[in-house]
Amino acid sequence: MDLLGTALLRHAASRPAWLMEAASGHAPPERDADMTFGGVPYVVGRAVVSLEGAEIDAARRSGLAWLARPCTVDEVARVVLVRAIAHAADDPFTAVRRLFVRGDNNERAAVLRALPLLRGPERFVPLATEGCRTNVKTVFEAIACENPFPARHLPDAAFFQMVLKAVFVGTPLARIEGLATRTDDELRRMARAYASERAAAGRTIPDDIHMLLEEAS
Amino acid sequence: MNVFDPHIHMTSRTTDDYEAMARSGVRALLEPAFWVGQPRTHVGSFEDYFASLIGWERFRASQFGIRHYCALALNPKEANDPALVDGVFELLPRYLVKEGVLAVGEIGFDDQTPAEEACFERHLELARRFALPILVHTPHRDKKRGTERTLEILRHHGFPPELSLVDHNTEETLPLVLEAGCWAGHSIYPNTKMDESRMATLVKQYGPERILVNSAADWGVSDPLKVPKTVAEMRRVGIAEDDIAKVVWENPFAFFAQSGRLALEEIAPSATVDQRRLWEGNSVLRGQIPRVEGEAEGAVAE
Repeated sequence: MDLLGTALLRHAASRPAWLMEAASGHAPPERDADMTFGGVPYVVGRAVVSLEGAEIDAARRSGLAWLARPCTVDEVARVVLVRAIAHAADDPFTAVRRLFVRGDNNERAAVLRALPLLRGPERFVPLATEGCRTNVKTVFEAIACENPFPARHLPDAAFFQMVLKAVFVGTPLARIEGLATRTDDELRRMARAYASERAAAGRTIPDDIHMLLEEAS
Repeated sequence: MNVFDPHIHMTSRTTDDYEAMARSGVRALLEPAFWVGQPRTHVGSFEDYFASLIGWERFRASQFGIRHYCALALNPKEANDPALVDGVFELLPRYLVKEGVLAVGEIGFDDQTPAEEACFERHLELARRFALPILVHTPHRDKKRGTERTLEILRHHGFPPELSLVDHNTEETLPLVLEAGCWAGHSIYPNTKMDESRMATLVKQYGPERILVNSAADWGVSDPLKVPKTVAEMRRVGIAEDDIAKVVWENPFAFFAQSGRLALEEIAPSATVDQRRLWEGNSVLRGQIPRVEGEAEGAVAE
């Protein structure tokens, strides 16, 4: 069992059969999947997940830095469920997108957190991009922050829009994984244009814009 | 005075309303699924509407320090469109299972048709299956008769009266609802339904037990501050503070807590509402300076 499964079983308020199965990578039957997913907090509770020393480094190395922010056990259970459902589905994109579309804010965030853990991640690029378009900050931050998916898979146009949106909504750029590797002349041009627009309007320029401009090429 | 507005359609309201409500003491509200003015003709429109009630609207409210809960159902008016009914009932269980969905509602009668009655009964089955309370709309036309039929159906199905909140009461229907053992809601409106002064009279006459007050504010002529304004009126006529608190805060909490999905610590007023530290983050401020409680002024009815 991996770090997610361990954290889940350590903090879950109760452990029905589907939870044990999901922790080992098996999905609930497809017709029940969204019902199970929706009711997760009433089963596992909302305890804050605490990681032990070495687990924090392990989380960061395996695309799970959000586990150490910290998060709650219902979010972990949902990420584990998304992974199991995607791996069992004939059409993983459709199955995962259905969970996203029908989800509340916490469910949608969990779907986006799970994306880097799924097989064939490139097929989930449209869903990641859709996630970036949300107006709900917690959902946006689930794809933009402590998530290796955007830097690895989003095309430049979508990635740059995500970075600028982070500045707009006040999400620290330090939370975007792999930002330095994707920063190029075009992103710096967009950052300069934004700084210029702010200056022309007599407004302050966010510190993160300076950081972006100073990012080594 | 802390206020829990147990029936308001925030989808139709602006951020100015949220701000004024927060200033006037509204800490929590419940938005039941209803008609949105323009009739919907596709089941998919309901899916997007439900998604909005559990997602976007919840987030919007959180920016103003207000907890947003909802009740979901196919409303009585649109229950008359056979193209919608089965599709929406197929959707409902998938949404009723979710966090923050505290009741099945609003359900009941509008034109008092057989189609409305059939949907009412299907909703009662859903409420039993998910162990949720119900929020029942009563008709504006032929109200007393409609309320009597509503109560008869609840009795006939053996639906627990303590899990039933029967809404939009008047002087003529309130005694029937209380007598049946149900909770009684009152929608305080600028011109129709119930007003602040009549409401204060009813609380004086019947006491605060199982009585709730809401604004039912929506896309029509209505006022999202009607509950705080009713608090002011109840004070003016000398109703005890404890009784007022029971009507506008404790009763709605006690009724919806029967869902097993509502904990007091979720809605207990925090010392400050600070938009720099929000439950669900924020992106509607659009460049405004975040509001920190204490800086705001102009509270209504306090």
